[in-house]
Amino acid sequence: APLTTEFFLQGSVMENSLETLVNRLKGLCDNADYQQESFQDHEMVFHIKNTSVPTPLVFRVRHSLVQTECWSLRYLGHAEVGDKNRPTLVRSYIDCPTSENVAQFIGELGFRMDHEFVVKGFYFHKGRMKITVSKFYKMNQPGNTTNDTIETVCPSYLVELSVVTSSGQEAVGDDMKNFAEQLKPLVTLEKTDHRKIQLAQT
Amino acid sequence: MAAPYSQFSPSPTPVNVCVEAVLESQIQEVRVVEKPDAPDGHEIQEVYVPPLSMSENLTKLAQKIDFYKDESDEKGKPTSEGEKEEEEKTGAAFQPSLWPWDSVRTKLRTSLTEMSVLLDILNVSSSKEKRYMVLDPVQQNAPDPKLAVQLMSKRRALQSAASVLQSGAERLRKSHAEINNKNDFHLELLNVRQKWRLKKTGTSILGDLSYRSVGSRYMHNGVFEVVKSSDLTAEGEFLAQRGSLDVVVPTELEGGAYIQVEVKSVPDTMDLTGAILRVPSGIGPVRSETYWQQKLEKAQNVLFCKEIFAQLAREAVQSKASIPHLVVGNQIITNVFPGIQLSIVLCHSTGKEREKKLPQYKMDHNHVLEHSLHQLLRENHFKNINFPAPHPVTALVGLTKKRRLAGPNALSRKQLMDMSDSESMLDQIIKQTKHNVLRLRTMQTIDGIAATLSDPQLTVHWSCCNSSTEASCRVIITSQGYDLRVWHSFVIIIGVDSLKVIIKEGRVFFLSFEEKELQDFIMWQVSQHQISVSQNLARLMGWQIMSTSTAMGVSDLESSGTASSLILAAPNKERILAIKSGPSSGIKVFLQQSQKDNKNRVILPDDKWQSVGADYQQVDLSKFEGRNFASKLELLLATFSHDLSSSSS
Repeated sequence: APLTTEFFLQGSVMENSLETLVNRLKGLCDNADYQQESFQDHEMVFHIKNTSVPTPLVFRVRHSLVQTECWSLRYLGHAEVGDKNRPTLVRSYIDCPTSENVAQFIGELGFRMDHEFVVKGFYFHKGRMKITVSKFYKMNQPGNTTNDTIETVCPSYLVELSVVTSSGQEAVGDDMKNFAEQLKPLVTLEKTDHRKIQLAQT
Repeated sequence: MAAPYSQFSPSPTPVNVCVEAVLESQIQEVRVVEKPDAPDGHEIQEVYVPPLSMSENLTKLAQKIDFYKDESDEKGKPTSEGEKEEEEKTGAAFQPSLWPWDSVRTKLRTSLTEMSVLLDILNVSSSKEKRYMVLDPVQQNAPDPKLAVQLMSKRRALQSAASVLQSGAERLRKSHAEINNKNDFHLELLNVRQKWRLKKTGTSILGDLSYRSVGSRYMHNGVFEVVKSSDLTAEGEFLAQRGSLDVVVPTELEGGAYIQVEVKSVPDTMDLTGAILRVPSGIGPVRSETYWQQKLEKAQNVLFCKEIFAQLAREAVQSKASIPHLVVGNQIITNVFPGIQLSIVLCHSTGKEREKKLPQYKMDHNHVLEHSLHQLLRENHFKNINFPAPHPVTALVGLTKKRRLAGPNALSRKQLMDMSDSESMLDQIIKQTKHNVLRLRTMQTIDGIAATLSDPQLTVHWSCCNSSTEASCRVIITSQGYDLRVWHSFVIIIGVDSLKVIIKEGRVFFLSFEEKELQDFIMWQVSQHQISVSQNLARLMGWQIMSTSTAMGVSDLESSGTASSLILAAPNKERILAIKSGPSSGIKVFLQQSQKDNKNRVILPDDKWQSVGADYQQVDLSKFEGRNFASKLELLLATFSHDLSSSSS
């Protein structure tokens, strides 16, 4: 299977600018006359520790709360900032749709769940670019995703622009940059260095 | 300071130092007053300006002082203070020798103290921070207004204001007149921008009239340019209809175009004579002075038709169907049924050709199919752009839910191939054409039979729920006068190239597109109906049904289908009636001859032998009274019932 990479840019907006941003995205993206697509996903992050490697291997199991039979297993590599010429962040991205017992399966392989969360938001696409505006919720009761047991992590929304293709297609980065320019005053989509966030955590 | 210093003089040697200003009041006015005792008879009186009171004087002088000046300015103290300081200095220099001036010295010292106090107060009040004391300027009484001067000043002010307003109004009127002028380039440009996407590149304004933004993947980029139009046309006429804006469309999209779909029957082979460039009669030359909206819409239509034809031609060339499609110039020809030919022509006239007198071909448009072609291309565009949203949102964009679940659900390769199969536009339009032809043919067949057949009557009800590839109808066969008693019906479902017929008992038949099959089928059903009517009448009249058979194995072979038969026995069992009904042989009634008719019985004179049946004779139904077979049969049955009953009584 070809190794796929994800080119992405991230930004965030406050809650009071959500309406404006959604309207602008509706105008810029395809399907302007279609009704707005929203999504609700529940993601569980699993770790497995390997004695030889200091950092644990992370697998993500995600399923949709709207279409509950769609489950998927994902692996995300570390986001590379790259040099100044590259307009987007790049990370390796391996994803496959699975059946519903995937969590149990990788549990038996030795993975342990580290944390889980619920994501809700809106989805837009333009050509092969995917734009999501999402809000994260933490779950007070493990395994329970009903509305009364989840609460928001913070009031702002994460805006992500991503394209998943085979590695080596650098031209897509310029398309993404042009698109991000059009959202400029509302939200600045940029390459945030994930290492800095991780360093801040530790 | 005009107050005398006398109040400060000490008691022993009072020395009055009087410092006074020249108190001379200003003359306000000179009056001439009538006085009888004056030498001239009138006296000149001077009216002085009333001298300023103490407070007024102080106010006037205080107003001259600017308390808000900088501290650096404070270095230059008010002149009265400076004088006092100098005086004090001179006073101090002479102090030791002038003993009698001691009192003066003390007085000057106190005055110095007071001046210092005043200076301190001023310093404190006018310091930069103004924290401890603030002094406000004192208002002076306003001088008496002089009416004439005021009037003049007011008039001058009003005049200047009026001139400003007038110049502004003039400017507004001019710009308003400009806007009303229809030939404004920028206003027209605004209108164009409301309807079309425009972009300014360099010095030119370009627009996009292609269908790219809604999903088309056609090669043409559909770029047009917006320019300012000149006032005169080539012939030197000025057309009032034109605005100040003109659009330049690409040369290959000029003029008008449409797709013409024609279905016609050709005797044997493909009609290749139709494959020549046709000049459409409906379009005509497009005037170059057409207003921009019509021009752009026409160009867009040309682009759309070109895309339809390009896609159809590509599919026609690449298809591996059993029937080859022929692509000639601007025409695609294919046979949908043997003898029926479908031709799709792209008619494009640029409007620049000279008016040639070409022989007019009778163009037979099939508007429904043309509209279908437009719809199919739009569907393609839609599918190119509209992907269903991925759930979960991190899944791959562009796949349907079924495709995404193909992995986890372990679909086989065959199932996957079936899922990914999609029909080309040419196949879809051919299917629709086939269905169209078949439906029309079926209609004509049924209507033809219904028109010619009078004995049982045919009624057809067409269903209004149908699609471009399927339609259905119900045919009901009734005998007039007996239509409430018995009827026969069957449902025809018309597909793409075959018919499915469901008859009363629930049996399903599949007929091909040949007309003859349907005709035979209908005739067969008619013959079945006659037998049903006979059965019904027999039961009504009291005749007993001896036997019935829907597929007779005896007698001559029918050309199609099978004959059915019915054998009836009279109520008193004296007579037997046999009815045979076949699709091609029609209906025949046979009556068994009675033994009683045969008087010449010699061998077996016993009565019981009269019950044995004899030959059958055919009944000539044409001699009977009755509108149709059912009424004739009823008469026949009634005759025999009555006859026997009368003979018995």
